Amino acid sequence: MTNTATTLAWRNIWRHPRRTILTIAAMVFADTLLVFMLGLQFGQYRMMIDNSLRIFTGQMQVQASGYHDEPHMYRSIPAADTLAQLIRDQAQIDAVSPRAYSFALVSSDTRTIGAQISGVDPQYEPQVSTIPGLIKQGRYLSGGSNEIVVGSILARNLKISPGDELTLLGSGRDGSIAATVAPVVGIFDSGARDIDRQMLSMPIDTFRDVFGMGDQAHSIIIGGNRDQADRIAAAAKAALQGDKDLVLLNWEALLPGLKQAIQADFTSAWFMYAVLIVLVAFGMLNTMLMSVLERTHEFGILLALGVRHGKLGRMIITESAVLALTGMLLGMLAGGLLTWYFLVNGFTYPGMEAMSERFNIPSVFHPEVSIRSLLPGPLAVFIATLLASLYPVWHMRKLRPIEALQAV
Amino acid sequence: MRIKSFLILVTLLLTQQATAEPGIDAKGIIRDAIDHYRGLTSYSEMSMAIHRPDWERSMSMNGWSSGSKKTLVRVTAPPRDAGNATLVLDDSKVWSYAPKINRVIRIPSSMMSQSWMGSDFSNKDISRTDEIVEQYDHTLLRIDEHEGHKVYVIESIPHEEAPIVWGKEISHVRDDYVELEHHFLDQDMQTVKILKTLDIQEKGGRMFAVHQRMNMLEKENEWTEISVQELDFDREIPDYLFTLSNLRNPRE
Repeated sequence: MTNTATTLAWRNIWRHPRRTILTIAAMVFADTLLVFMLGLQFGQYRMMIDNSLRIFTGQMQVQASGYHDEPHMYRSIPAADTLAQLIRDQAQIDAVSPRAYSFALVSSDTRTIGAQISGVDPQYEPQVSTIPGLIKQGRYLSGGSNEIVVGSILARNLKISPGDELTLLGSGRDGSIAATVAPVVGIFDSGARDIDRQMLSMPIDTFRDVFGMGDQAHSIIIGGNRDQADRIAAAAKAALQGDKDLVLLNWEALLPGLKQAIQADFTSAWFMYAVLIVLVAFGMLNTMLMSVLERTHEFGILLALGVRHGKLGRMIITESAVLALTGMLLGMLAGGLLTWYFLVNGFTYPGMEAMSERFNIPSVFHPEVSIRSLLPGPLAVFIATLLASLYPVWHMRKLRPIEALQAV
Repeated sequence: MRIKSFLILVTLLLTQQATAEPGIDAKGIIRDAIDHYRGLTSYSEMSMAIHRPDWERSMSMNGWSSGSKKTLVRVTAPPRDAGNATLVLDDSKVWSYAPKINRVIRIPSSMMSQSWMGSDFSNKDISRTDEIVEQYDHTLLRIDEHEGHKVYVIESIPHEEAPIVWGKEISHVRDDYVELEHHFLDQDMQTVKILKTLDIQEKGGRMFAVHQRMNMLEKENEWTEISVQELDFDREIPDYLFTLSNLRNPRE
């Protein structure tokens, strides 16, 4: 007797195979879409983060504590080259490069503009930044001393081209007056407007001479693959040897705006997903309501035979649970397979090729297959479907045997 | 309703009368303070100390001024910085000379509120022209007492169209035209920095604020002090001193 509800439910499901299959298909379709879209979205965010970090920021940075909030020249990292080498050894990656920053007046023959100066290590900088690969005119810093590469918009505003000289005038780390004249060897075009408009780079050794920095730097940029971020971070932390004056900042701390933009985008995407989920739930509601209404006469007989309402309710819920569970599992499988195909083969859309050339970034991206892309969509559809099946149950509870038997 | 507005009007009139002392011209006091500070011409020898939490450095410099618009400052020590010079003509034409690279750079107007030679003074502050007299509206707030002197506390609000970054400035000027304090407030009327006079002595034949400290309010441990050692007013200063060629190749 305990199994009668289940047995009846199973038979009811196959009473109209086409309807059942169509209902499941709708769920599978929605689930596949949700899994694929979420996977695509996570993949895209990942690409966005990677591409943003690759330009200049790096995956993480070592800085003197307090420098990120208030970048004063005197908040610097002592013996920065030694520390950078230590991190390279411990984390076993090459992509570790020290940088120093200052703000100075930059003057060409005709114009003077305030700009950000970054002192970089020409040997390691290409591993943590795409800028060395985005030279539009001339060449990147060669490792020789006293040369400058300039952002494209800044170069235009200063009216200079490679071969011209720039005069820098600012303050050194010790408050002394820092000034130098250096030739422009190249112009870079990173595609990031802020950087192209207000930054120029020079070798860190020259920077240290001009701005009185000794062997110091303001930041040690750590690049590398983000999949290994945890391992690299642990190695870098170990290299700091508990120095309280130094901090390791991850990308969320370095670019809080990027994280917020992603969160905002994700939230708005969920509104769309919610609409999809509600639509599927209404489809399910329709199916279950239909199957309950057409069985009114049958329920009347069952009730007249003494079957309680509760048992009938359990039966209906079991029916929808079987449908919803099947839909969810198949949907996850289909969505997972589809996403996995693109994960292996890469996903691209028209125009990405050109973009990759322009910004020195990969031309395909890979959607993500993981618990967080597989589970939330199908699970939401499952729950919404079960909730939708409660209405027919509630509707059925008011049924009286006599009236039900008289129904057609 | 009518009674209420009448009362407000009366109150306004009464308070107006209470603050606006008859015969005191706030704008005149500001002008006199600047004239007192600059003289017809002036020559000074000063030192500037920049204080930061983990270091402090000082420079010596000579300054010349002529009329209310021209100023020249030349660093004399330490050796690393000696020879650096700044020339101010008019209100917003500032040039900087660096001997190390032998170049003169015009400071763009967008950089006028940036730090001058790493100190807490801005490029604007060091020129200290009479711009404030004409570009601001001045109101006497109150009269304080200081060592037997009257101190006029004057609020100066820049004209709507004036190219000034400040929301307002408040000057404390003693009745012998020595300025005791100068507050700079941003557009939200929050005090950003305060110039305080720490010592007043007779120099160059007049009472003068010989020791002043500029302090950013947000950074308690950071300030810049200027001490005046020598001061001479109204001596003959040739006009060629305030030229770009003299900035680069000093004739003195």
